[in-house]
Amino acid sequence: MSLLQKFANIGKVIKQNNGIVGTYLKLFRIDAFKWGDLVGEDKYGNKYYQNNYYFYGRNRWVEFPLSVGHDYDASQIPAEWHRWLQYICDEPPSQLPLPKRKWMADHVENLSGTDRCYVPYSTTRPKIEAWVPPKRNS
Amino acid sequence: MLRLWPVRQLSRIQNALGLTQTAFKSSQPAPAPDLVEVFIDDKQVFVEPGTTVLQACATAGVEIPRFCYHDRLSIAGNCRMCLVEVEKSAKPIASCAMPVMKGMKVKTDSPLTRKAREGVMEFLLVNHPLDCPICDQGGECDLQDQSMAFGSDRSRFTDNAFTGKRAVEDKNIGPLIKTIMTRCIHCTRCIRFASEVAGVDDLGTSGRGTEMQVGTYVEKMFKSELSGNVIDLCPVGALTSKPYAFTTRPWETRRIESIDVMDAVGSNIVVSMRTNEVMRILPRLNEDINEEWISDKTRFAYDGLKRQRLTTPFVRNSKGDLIPTDWETAFFDIADRVKNIVPSSIAGIAGCHTDLETLVCLKDMVNRLGSELLCTEESFPMINSGTDFRSNYVMNTTIAGIEESDLVFLVGTNPRLEGSLVNARIRKSWVHNEMCVFALGAPVDLSYDYQYLGDSFSVLKDIADGTHVLAKALAEAEKPMIILGSDALQKSDSNLILDTVRSIAKNAKKASKHPDWKVFNVLHRNASQVGALDMGYQPGVDILKCNKPNLVFLVGADAGKLTEDDILGNSGVIYIGSHGDAGAQMADVVLPGAAYTEKDAMYVNTEGRAQIGRQAVSPPGMARHDWKIIRALSEILGVTLPYDKLSDVRSRLAEISPTFDRPGRAEETGFEDISDNVVIDKMAVKGTEAPVAPVLLKLRDFYMTDPISRASPTMAKCVQAYDESEKNPYSRPEAS
Amino acid sequence: MATPRIVQQGVKQVKPLMSVDRTEARRRVLNLYKAWYRQIPYVVKDFYLPITVKMGRDKVRELFLKNKHVTDIRNIDMLVIKGQMDLVETANIWKQRNHVMMFFKDTVNPKPTDFLSKFYEGQE
Repeated sequence: MSLLQKFANIGKVIKQNNGIVGTYLKLFRIDAFKWGDLVGEDKYGNKYYQNNYYFYGRNRWVEFPLSVGHDYDASQIPAEWHRWLQYICDEPPSQLPLPKRKWMADHVENLSGTDRCYVPYSTTRPKIEAWVPPKRNS
Repeated sequence: MLRLWPVRQLSRIQNALGLTQTAFKSSQPAPAPDLVEVFIDDKQVFVEPGTTVLQACATAGVEIPRFCYHDRLSIAGNCRMCLVEVEKSAKPIASCAMPVMKGMKVKTDSPLTRKAREGVMEFLLVNHPLDCPICDQGGECDLQDQSMAFGSDRSRFTDNAFTGKRAVEDKNIGPLIKTIMTRCIHCTRCIRFASEVAGVDDLGTSGRGTEMQVGTYVEKMFKSELSGNVIDLCPVGALTSKPYAFTTRPWETRRIESIDVMDAVGSNIVVSMRTNEVMRILPRLNEDINEEWISDKTRFAYDGLKRQRLTTPFVRNSKGDLIPTDWETAFFDIADRVKNIVPSSIAGIAGCHTDLETLVCLKDMVNRLGSELLCTEESFPMINSGTDFRSNYVMNTTIAGIEESDLVFLVGTNPRLEGSLVNARIRKSWVHNEMCVFALGAPVDLSYDYQYLGDSFSVLKDIADGTHVLAKALAEAEKPMIILGSDALQKSDSNLILDTVRSIAKNAKKASKHPDWKVFNVLHRNASQVGALDMGYQPGVDILKCNKPNLVFLVGADAGKLTEDDILGNSGVIYIGSHGDAGAQMADVVLPGAAYTEKDAMYVNTEGRAQIGRQAVSPPGMARHDWKIIRALSEILGVTLPYDKLSDVRSRLAEISPTFDRPGRAEETGFEDISDNVVIDKMAVKGTEAPVAPVLLKLRDFYMTDPISRASPTMAKCVQAYDESEKNPYSRPEAS
Repeated sequence: MATPRIVQQGVKQVKPLMSVDRTEARRRVLNLYKAWYRQIPYVVKDFYLPITVKMGRDKVRELFLKNKHVTDIRNIDMLVIKGQMDLVETANIWKQRNHVMMFFKDTVNPKPTDFLSKFYEGQE
């Protein structure tokens, strides 16, 4: 690969990211300095890219929407896109949607560390049942 | 109902045996001429004639294995486990039923004896299921223990597919006792207990041989207030406790010795505890009070300790709702209320389960605040010397003294439900000592025959005047007893009843040949009553109804004797107690206290016997020991009580009365003559001549009488089962 | 061999642990104190303790002064030995951070002493 081609690639990256500032901000936010084809977008706003110029394992990636800021993580990717991103299948769900069964639950991201996280609680009955005073005015 | 003469013989024998034992121990003196010489394993012992071989062996220190034999029941001799070899006898003999003979040589460990025991054990085990791992008796099973100690070390049982093993249908005999009749070894202890001690001929056997069954013939409830004792009596797991089923093993529990507070008898109990939870309650041997029985309420009401509990202080807000708070807020709220009122209008009421420590703290605090208004819920007429003399309000002859008496006159009481073990004593005496019983009150079933004199007050008057037949009988009796129930004294016109009964007692005492014998006895219902009266509490809330207090401390007072109309102004009601019952509902501030299993506390029973109960579990949540609550409150109110430790409170108790300082002893009362002769105000002795009747009439009324038993699901089930069986006594009760 | 006998009489015939008289014991205590004093900056740095060097030295002083009533030479010696062991364990970082911070007892609530506070705490 010639040096010229490398410069051309840099140019493609800058172009895809709308200029030098956009490229810098993308690098700052998701550490990615890449160009590629937009394969699809899911309902959460995640954009999925593919570029086979990069070697296997780095040729498919996701860009999280700006709305999540820096609080992005892999659990925000829904299952059908997860299949494609992890090379379980080659057709992205935008081309070959999965059958929608009625038992399929909506995707939920991992809520650990947030205020909606799961807190374990005791399910055993208390040994002592406390008295609940009757309401006088009700 | 039969009176069993062999049992009477036996009790005499046992008395004599005690004497022989002491005589024998003191350096082998020449034995009394009427004693029989027997040899137990070549050891010479002298015993009273008529003693059984088994008892003679016990004297020699040899324990014979047994299933059917029990000290307090008649001899059945049907389990055959106590077979021993006797020299010059062709066959081994059943030692529990065989009286000793002169020069008898008993071999308790000979090959023949062992072989006999192993054979009997083998027969028992052939017909016994191998369900020890799921059996509730496991760990305290006589059959387990004795098959280890005396059984064979190998089995000849080959029917491991269980094609022909004995199987018996289980019986439903009520919500308290679980029956697994396949495990029954036909010792008939339960049958004998029911007919001899409880006085209910409900249990019996049907069939012979392998078809023999123990049961109630037709399926019905085992209706007795002492029914739980058959669980302890059953040597195997055939009769076990229904509420306790599959909860704990005996080796997992701690056993704490305590005192029962469900009635004023003060039965000695053992509280079995595991992981800070009361698992069950068992009787503890005390010959003076409960022997080895306890009533069903004592035994099964413990699940009431886990429901309706007060676990946090409450303060009533402006809307009139009780809101949970912390201790400090509750105390300051009380301090505010106390600040705004005249000190002399503060009152205290002690409820039915209040212990002595709490009583003394409450009294000291209220007195220090400047008030004398202290009373108990249960009333007692204050005529003549009132409660100034102890002999006026306790059971003077003691419970064990009932056995000496030859005539009992019950006035306005149903001892079977008010003090079940007092009734068991009366029945014991009626069976063994030919005691005569007369009763005035309600025609209730007392489990023994008695002469019913009606419920009219005029009969009492006739007896007092000497015109009634009973007056003559009382005068002729060796040791007559008059038991007056405190139930009959709850009405405002009960002065006359007490006065008349006192004069009857006085006449009987005058005629008695035993100058030390005390005729007059009171049977109380509440465990706190005698202690409170000893301490100087006023009996009954009448004094408050006259004085209209501003602020009332209810200490476990749940009988609803004081209503909101009796309280002046709106300064409030402060409830200190363990359960959310009537008292907590009317209170403005609720302070959570400890129940009787959760504190080291003393109680005085109806005999005037102070007893200490030990703490088994800790009070739930934010609840504290009652006396500590009052001690802490006194500090907030600025009248700090000078006791920080339980021992300080106990020494204060000892200052008040020496009887509180000698737990376990019923101090003999004195000054009967003086108290009999005190006549302060004859005008006080008036009242209508209404019928004299107890309140508790049927077994149904027995189960739920206090906050703990009212909160107990087991007791509720008993009431339900009773109603069910009243409707249709022989229907098949629903399996529960 | 005259000196030991005099010494023996001086310490009332008991077998000394290390020091034979008060002067020597005092010298050992002071040496240990100095050693701790010099070690404190390193302790603070090595364990990354949330305290200043001055606070550490004040704590050393406080702990030494806690035992100032001890007069028995053998007791003093034993305390010095234990202090020495503690110092070695600290200097070699055989301890962990919380073990060092345990000297400050900053997470321990004092137990209530009077009746009312015991009552509120629910302690016996």
